[in-house]
Amino acid sequence: MADMVSIPHSQPQQHQFNPYTENGGTILAIAGADFSVIAGDTRQSEGYSIQTRYAPKVFRLTDKAVLAVNGFAADGNMFVKKVRQRLEWYRHAHAKDMPIRAIARLIQTMLYSRRFFPYYVYNILGGIEEDGTGAVYSFDPVGSYEREACRAAGAAQSLVQPFLDNQIYFKNQTPAPGTSFPGHLSLSTVLSLVIDSFTSATERHIEVGDGLEMYIVLAKNSPSIQSLRDIRGMSELTATEDGERVFVVRRDLKKD
Amino acid sequence: MSIMEYNGGSVIAMAGKDCVAIASDLRLGNQMLSISSNFQRVFPVTDRIYIGLPGLATDVTTLRERFRLRVNMYTIKEEREIEPEAFTHLVSSTLYEHRFGPYFISPVVAGISKTPTGGIKPFIAATDLIGCINFAKDFVVSGTASSKLFGVAEGLWEPDLGPEDLFETISQTLLNAVDRDAFSGWGAVVHVITKDQVITRKLKARMD
Amino acid sequence: METSFALIGKGYVIVAADTTSARSIVKMKNDEDKIKTVSPHLLMTYSGEPGDTVQFAEYIERNLRLYQIRNIYPLRPAAASSWIRRSLAESLRSRHPYSVNLLLGGYDTSLSEPKLYWIDYLGTVTEVPFAAHGYGSYFVLSLMDRYHDPEAPLEEGLETLKKCIQEVSKRLIVSPERYKVKIVDKDGVRDIDL
Repeated sequence: MADMVSIPHSQPQQHQFNPYTENGGTILAIAGADFSVIAGDTRQSEGYSIQTRYAPKVFRLTDKAVLAVNGFAADGNMFVKKVRQRLEWYRHAHAKDMPIRAIARLIQTMLYSRRFFPYYVYNILGGIEEDGTGAVYSFDPVGSYEREACRAAGAAQSLVQPFLDNQIYFKNQTPAPGTSFPGHLSLSTVLSLVIDSFTSATERHIEVGDGLEMYIVLAKNSPSIQSLRDIRGMSELTATEDGERVFVVRRDLKKD
Repeated sequence: MSIMEYNGGSVIAMAGKDCVAIASDLRLGNQMLSISSNFQRVFPVTDRIYIGLPGLATDVTTLRERFRLRVNMYTIKEEREIEPEAFTHLVSSTLYEHRFGPYFISPVVAGISKTPTGGIKPFIAATDLIGCINFAKDFVVSGTASSKLFGVAEGLWEPDLGPEDLFETISQTLLNAVDRDAFSGWGAVVHVITKDQVITRKLKARMD
Repeated sequence: METSFALIGKGYVIVAADTTSARSIVKMKNDEDKIKTVSPHLLMTYSGEPGDTVQFAEYIERNLRLYQIRNIYPLRPAAASSWIRRSLAESLRSRHPYSVNLLLGGYDTSLSEPKLYWIDYLGTVTEVPFAAHGYGSYFVLSLMDRYHDPEAPLEEGLETLKKCIQEVSKRLIVSPERYKVKIVDKDGVRDIDL
């Protein structure tokens, strides 16, 4: 007779595979009259460990659209890959780049198609609308979205968003008598605010730091190009002759 | 349900040039239900020390009474006013006495202290609910909106602000932070302490 | 479910509490007076854990009476609220805390002002222009945000109170059918039939 193996008093054990993690970092986008700035830090962490000091979270999709993804990095990268694939198919079918409001709707349907096993990612899409205005679209992980003037997401959202409310929307401020707030902020002001936001977040949040990548999308013949002249560490990524131009600025953030 | 977030409320203190400011919202709630829009959680300790007590509202009152007793006893025994540094240690030890059954408050202290040479020095500090002290040179925050306060303060604060500029900085920081916090807001109060006076102002805020 | 509310007007405080006494799903009584007159110008509604409520209310009532006997003058509303709060706060960190929620409405004869305090079982006290406890508070507080006027004459205050009672009976599933209403002003305490 075969040996009987008995497991003495072993309790049934439950194993649960958790397919998600949170990889820290923060993203931010601000729209201007004829430009859009989309930024993110480059630290990628898991718990208290830094996995890499350079993992981009902001991606150029077309010459008029840039996508920032934050949350679970693996999902984020896969999602960007799939969006890019859909944009390429569109280009082959229609011989032009998809307009940004169509990309926004595409992202919604792609996210909602995974309603019950979502991409664990917060998306912010920035770029130039067909009418030449700067645009920011922000999404939740299952595809709810909205066009806004500015949005922060990720680990330091709670630090950055109220600062933006104050400095972009002028919340809780009243203009001096006889004056009014500027209707649209200039590119140089916006870039300073983005840099300040990330240095502040780096100072007080452990998951933010290492590097900063700011993508700047300019509308056709935008005069805002003037204020980019003296920006340190800038390079152009424009691929087409359509008129919209994409630039990236890379800066160091504190590494502690 | 977190006890520290049961009643809501936030406090911030900032140091300036020969002045300090301490500010707080005025909401008292029961989780998501707002009960009062005039709940004071910042109290004078001496003419130039204020304490803010965000956390569980019953402990706000209990601790205020306790600190008043202990400061009075100190003043009688020492025959002098307590200094902010000593008071902060008094706060810390009072909280640590209850290490394993704490008061659910993380206090913020703001005051002007005297230097041995006869000058004055702005003083701010905060502790956690069991009395671990954080002496800061710039600003300290506490309460349900603390992460928001950190973000805005880090962006707006700069060294050596005068009383009026400090008032503007702390007010903007508080208002914009509590507007993004469901548990804080419903009005605010700011105290700016200088060497010879305390300016107290009530701020109008969003009521949602 | 247990509901109580109170509001201040010009020189008076109106205090109302439902009159049901329930054990689990059973209504045992529907004429219970849950508003105690704790001193000549001070009313207190109490609600919470059955047993604790009456025990604690009577403890407060007897002690405030003792104070008046000893000192001739009764405690003023602010002082009474502090003493009651301290009792609850000390009870909270004892082995058997009272779980009683109170509304303390009084007329301060020295300041010639009506006063109202919202007190919960934790010992949280706040002075308010109007207040409520229980499930009714979720309906009534927003209503009083809209209609309350601290300078309103008594008739108008009672109208607001009626609106509150109507709203609770309309929207709350387990709404009480009857309320006891009392008023305290410079002349002391009196009952009101709505």
